[in-house]
Amino acid sequence: MKTRDQTSSLFWLLVSILVFAESLRIGVGTVQNPGMGFMTFGASGILGILSLSLFLQACVRKGDLRQKPLLAGTMWRRILFVLLVLTVYARVMPVLGYLITTFVLMTLLFGILEKKRTGFVSLYALAATFFTYVVFSKWLNCQFPQGLFGF
Amino acid sequence: MDFSAGIIYGFQVTFQPINFLFCGAGVLVGTLVGVLPGIGPAGAMALLLPATFSFSPTSTIILLAGIYYGVQYGGSTTSILVKIPGEASSVMTCIDGHQMARQGRAGPALGIAAWGSFIAGTIANVGLMLVAIPLAHAALRLGPPEYFALMCTGLIIVTYLAQGSVLKAIMMGLVGIILGSVGLDLITGFPRFTFGINELTDGVGIVPLVMGLFGISEILENLEGSLEREIFKPRIKNLWPSLKDWMEAKWAIARGSVIGFLLGILPGGGAVIATFVSYAVEKKISKDPEKFGKGAIEGVAGPESANNAAAGSSLIPLLSLGIPPNPIMAIFFSALIIHGIQPGPLLIRQHPELFWGLVSSLYLGNAFLLILNLPLIGIWIKVLEIPYKILFPMILLFCIIGVYSMNNLSFDLYIMLFFGLVGWLMRKFGYEGAPLILAFVLGPMLENALRQSLLISQGNFLIFFTRPISAVALGFAVLLLLTTLLPNFKKRRQQYDQFHE
Repeated sequence: MKTRDQTSSLFWLLVSILVFAESLRIGVGTVQNPGMGFMTFGASGILGILSLSLFLQACVRKGDLRQKPLLAGTMWRRILFVLLVLTVYARVMPVLGYLITTFVLMTLLFGILEKKRTGFVSLYALAATFFTYVVFSKWLNCQFPQGLFGF
Repeated sequence: MDFSAGIIYGFQVTFQPINFLFCGAGVLVGTLVGVLPGIGPAGAMALLLPATFSFSPTSTIILLAGIYYGVQYGGSTTSILVKIPGEASSVMTCIDGHQMARQGRAGPALGIAAWGSFIAGTIANVGLMLVAIPLAHAALRLGPPEYFALMCTGLIIVTYLAQGSVLKAIMMGLVGIILGSVGLDLITGFPRFTFGINELTDGVGIVPLVMGLFGISEILENLEGSLEREIFKPRIKNLWPSLKDWMEAKWAIARGSVIGFLLGILPGGGAVIATFVSYAVEKKISKDPEKFGKGAIEGVAGPESANNAAAGSSLIPLLSLGIPPNPIMAIFFSALIIHGIQPGPLLIRQHPELFWGLVSSLYLGNAFLLILNLPLIGIWIKVLEIPYKILFPMILLFCIIGVYSMNNLSFDLYIMLFFGLVGWLMRKFGYEGAPLILAFVLGPMLENALRQSLLISQGNFLIFFTRPISAVALGFAVLLLLTTLLPNFKKRRQQYDQFHE
């Protein structure tokens, strides 16, 4: 955990510096009349101090030199693929509509772990898309985007 | 309105067809969520929230409360039968509950869990009625300094009770406060931290944040490794515990109820901590502590009673003070705000139908769970047999629908994905999401109270120490923080972490 604490504390230190600077820019105000950056000024200041202290704690701690890298032994490509697919889905859904994009999304997601039986994958994807469409759009009146094709 | 009139009125509200239906649907959905790993109670509530926009606030809150209650029940079923805690509040039940199932005593384990939950839930409901109304009256006399101090104390307790490093938990609290300040400033009305993105003017939504940090991150974590699970199928018979079981479990249920009730009220407490404390107490005072971990019925009865009692009592600070004590209550808080109701001391007086309707629905929901759940155990096991490769795309789709339906904005999906990635990394780096969520919700209120206090006192910070309630609350918070520096605390924390792992 030593290296991970060092890395994460540096990240939070950077965040605190950015928020601190932005708080100063939007105006901290005075103690008698606090401005809109007052609270974040204080919060980011304390966050910076704590990040620094976590970093120092991690530095003096006896480290585990044989610590595994963060993504070692994990199927990180699968995670990356899911995140990528979902990002594209969020971008495309308002343009192509719920039904088409969700069918494609579900085909890809079901297909991640079931590569052999493509027929089943398509069937599951179709069923999931129509099931959620009927339950949420028709019964519960949630509004889904219709897209270019009107469905 | 006195208690008896309130209860009668409450049941009139609860037995309206729509509320009755929502109560039943809530407990069933909650049980399903409790069985399934991945969505969680906060995620399930967020998912169904957009669907309630066309219904009354009372029906909405009854539905959400049903989900919260149902989750506690559903989690225990899978903990006992297949050693998979659907929710964190059922982790302790796994230890002895599953051992009982392996010894052919799945029936009594499930039975005592259900009855313990029912008894504790009922006790918590009575406590809720008795405590919430006087507390709301007292809260009318509280000003911004007291509110600031109480919220600070709540946040400190959350960080103190966090499972990992206290330092990291405090850091997450501060990140939550910063995130909560994104959007329009409450006093000047100018946008801040929006970086020119129009969608951020209303702030970061709690639904995408919760779905991302809890739902998406858990799915990503599950996708890291093998998705195969071993399902142990025990034979279930004699769901009614024997007289001997009752005799062994009765005091565990009583103690679990009290512990759960008290820890549920406490800011930052909630169902998870209550189960850990209850199990530890039962083991500590047992004449035969060696039997714990080998199928002790007290190890099931105590934690199961505690988590239901905590679920009920955690409504008290929300309904009477307007302060959500844990992330689940933060969703309740947001739901009330979305429906135009300000949680706080005036809620009970201004919306008696909501308060009494909710209290009565808790009684009804408890009864529903007891009557419905034991016969439905077979179905919940079938749900668990669904392969994760089919389950995870569906959970992802539900998260997407829940988030998108809030505002019909794709931008919210980006927020969810971003926080999903952040949440996954937080798990990897040993940071907890709960302090962040609670601070995110409390942040704007905390800021408002701080700025108002400083305006009242003309910039004198001593205002927080010259008023008795705020002085006591802040003093307690400082003491708690100081205890984290004691060597004894550090040793206990290490033991707790090892135990938790």
